[in-house]
Amino acid sequence: MPADSAQRLFPDLPDLPDLPDLPDRPDWPALPAAAPQPGLPDLEHLHPALWRAHQVGRQRDAVWASGFATLDAELPGGGWPARALTELLLPHPGIGEIRLLAPVLAAVQRGGRSVMLFDPPAALCAWALASLGLDLTQLVLVRPRDGLQDRARALPPAADILWALEQSLKSGHVGALLAWPGPRLRPDALRRLQLAAQAHDGPAFLFRELQAQARPSAAPLRLLLASAGPDELALRIVKRRGPPLLQPLLLPLAPVLSAPARARALRDVLLPVADAAMPACAEAAEHD
Amino acid sequence: MLWFAVHLPWLSLEAFVATLGAEQRQRPVALLADHRVQAVNATAAQAGVQTGLKRATALALAADLLCGQADATRDAQALQAVVHAALAFTPAVAVDGHTVLLEVASCLRYFGGADALLRRLRSALAPLGHRVQIAGAATALGAALLARWRDDLADGPQRSQLAALQQLLDRAPVWLLGPGREHWEALQGMGLRHLGDLLRLPRAGLARRFGEDLLDDLDRARGTRPDPRVWLTAPERFRCRLELAMRADHAEQVLHGAALLLAQLVAWAQARRARVRAFTLCMHHEARYRPDAPTPAATELRIELAEPAVDGTHLQGLLRERLARVQLAAPTLELQLHCHELALQEAPNAELFPTRHSDQLGLLRLIERLSARLGDEQVQRLQPVADHRPERASRTLPALSTLTGAAAVTARVTATATASTGDWPLTRPVWLLPDPLPLAERQAMPLLEGRPLQLLVGPERIESGWWDADLATRDYFIAQAMDGALVWVYRARLPVTDETQPLWFLQGRFG
Repeated sequence: MPADSAQRLFPDLPDLPDLPDLPDRPDWPALPAAAPQPGLPDLEHLHPALWRAHQVGRQRDAVWASGFATLDAELPGGGWPARALTELLLPHPGIGEIRLLAPVLAAVQRGGRSVMLFDPPAALCAWALASLGLDLTQLVLVRPRDGLQDRARALPPAADILWALEQSLKSGHVGALLAWPGPRLRPDALRRLQLAAQAHDGPAFLFRELQAQARPSAAPLRLLLASAGPDELALRIVKRRGPPLLQPLLLPLAPVLSAPARARALRDVLLPVADAAMPACAEAAEHD
Repeated sequence: MLWFAVHLPWLSLEAFVATLGAEQRQRPVALLADHRVQAVNATAAQAGVQTGLKRATALALAADLLCGQADATRDAQALQAVVHAALAFTPAVAVDGHTVLLEVASCLRYFGGADALLRRLRSALAPLGHRVQIAGAATALGAALLARWRDDLADGPQRSQLAALQQLLDRAPVWLLGPGREHWEALQGMGLRHLGDLLRLPRAGLARRFGEDLLDDLDRARGTRPDPRVWLTAPERFRCRLELAMRADHAEQVLHGAALLLAQLVAWAQARRARVRAFTLCMHHEARYRPDAPTPAATELRIELAEPAVDGTHLQGLLRERLARVQLAAPTLELQLHCHELALQEAPNAELFPTRHSDQLGLLRLIERLSARLGDEQVQRLQPVADHRPERASRTLPALSTLTGAAAVTARVTATATASTGDWPLTRPVWLLPDPLPLAERQAMPLLEGRPLQLLVGPERIESGWWDADLATRDYFIAQAMDGALVWVYRARLPVTDETQPLWFLQGRFG
């Protein structure tokens, strides 16, 4: 209200002092520079759980090296996280996910612990696993009960697998877990598994379908996998402690094809396979 | 000598309550003898039912009162379980009515003192579900009398000294002694209420009036007369039964009774210093409940442990999971638990920090739990078979049958067969379809999901199996699908008699 009108309405009011003008924005003091001031510790080095949003965070617990140097550089802590779930989203099984995990599984088995697989989508070939470097005596498969045969308990098979997963995570004696929980995994079940994984001292992988990308998840690390040609895997990190990875990582897998066969394959393929396999990844990165 | 007496004042009532189901234990329960109430539980006591009331009065006070009769065999079995729990602490155990006597002077040092021993005794008796009164004294009968009298005399002062015991007994009431209870009216009429009063009278007169037994018991309690006891031992085989008050139609309803039997089994195994290897639970069906002749007389549930254990919680978990999968052929009223397979060696030492050995044991217990719930066939291990046919090249075995406790821990097969370091290409896919998927064909080339496959490597001819009538003559190719994934397809080399028979099949995917 202008001062003269105020005086007209309330003639007995004393004069208010003038307010100082606010300076324009360029005159405000500048924000502290990213470089730390001498003598003060970096904020992100105060505690292992702290990280700045534009940096890749560190892992509080031990990490397991993935066997691929480019992948280790992008994962928080430098490897697959222990005591936490890792979600791998695939279009369909059989694009090279076992060859991706074979180095870390072999390392877990060399440490004397077992690898457990929960409800894999197809039968496993023992010779293929042995040639990938896995020890079959330290591998356990868990399959759900067939609902028709067992009428004593009318539980769906997915509940069996979730119970078995939780028991194995909580026991703390299993080295690594690979699980295929099924298409309708509820977020509260996932949250419960993530809490149980805090007692588990090794990596735990959940394989889910691509449509799960749009739904929120309690897992701290989520990767999107797609095939980028023979013996090559295109990998995108959708969620991690740090910024999401914009460019896909191309990882060379344990080869199935010999060199001449590989050259033959590359000559005949017409489509650039990496872009065609992941159409909706650009939008998904902005949602997370 | 130091004696501990464990008195179970409500043994008959608790043995009767053990036969009831979970929901019936919440109701007021009373034990009757000669149509009069003998013992009541807490819920009935709150409703106003007391000992000595007539049955009709008690039912009027609490309308949903559950009445039961005392059963001598049931009480004896429950007392036997307490004896077994006591045998884990000392070999000198005797029984006096509803009191269990332990002579512990020789094993005090092993357990680290009388207080530590009492703590462990109470925690060992806790799973059996009885309310106990424990007292300690220098003589057996003296300890029994004190335990029957009060509950707070277990850690009384100078309990191993005879003079202190005699002073305490002088103040004890006369009805604690067996003969004293019979003659209680007469003694009370004469003004003799405490044991000290009895001592002041001439012995010959007391003996003539009330019998030699009264003086005999008094002398043994005070320690002036020797009191030899017969020590009890644990039997070689464990066999006990429980009759349920209400019939059980589903296996889950027997869980309470079965859990109690299992607690008794654990007490017996600890008394024998052994670990349980296998046990059997029989659920008997009565003839009138069996609908037809082919129904068996009993449903047996046998639980075998890969690693012998005496851990009560682990056994209860296994029993619970296995019971959930059992279907009763007919309603059951009687449970029996047998065990004669024990591992008599000492358990391996537990380690403070996790080691490879403790990891293996922990994994074994986890696999046991998973197998108990999901079934032995659902927890598997892979084994390669030397057969060229891909569907027979791997075999799944139940994980429990391949683990044999010590063998699994010590013998570790570390060498992997044909381990590849990445120099040689892989020849077999990780994922194999259980049944080969027939593929559509276009111009003699296979299609996967409508798109043509690009054959890259092949053909690998596999012709095998003429000896077991499962001949496989196939040409295998590694092909690339449109999205870049590698698949393993084959063309069947059969004599083509039918043009509509598919020739191309999908066998696996390279994962």
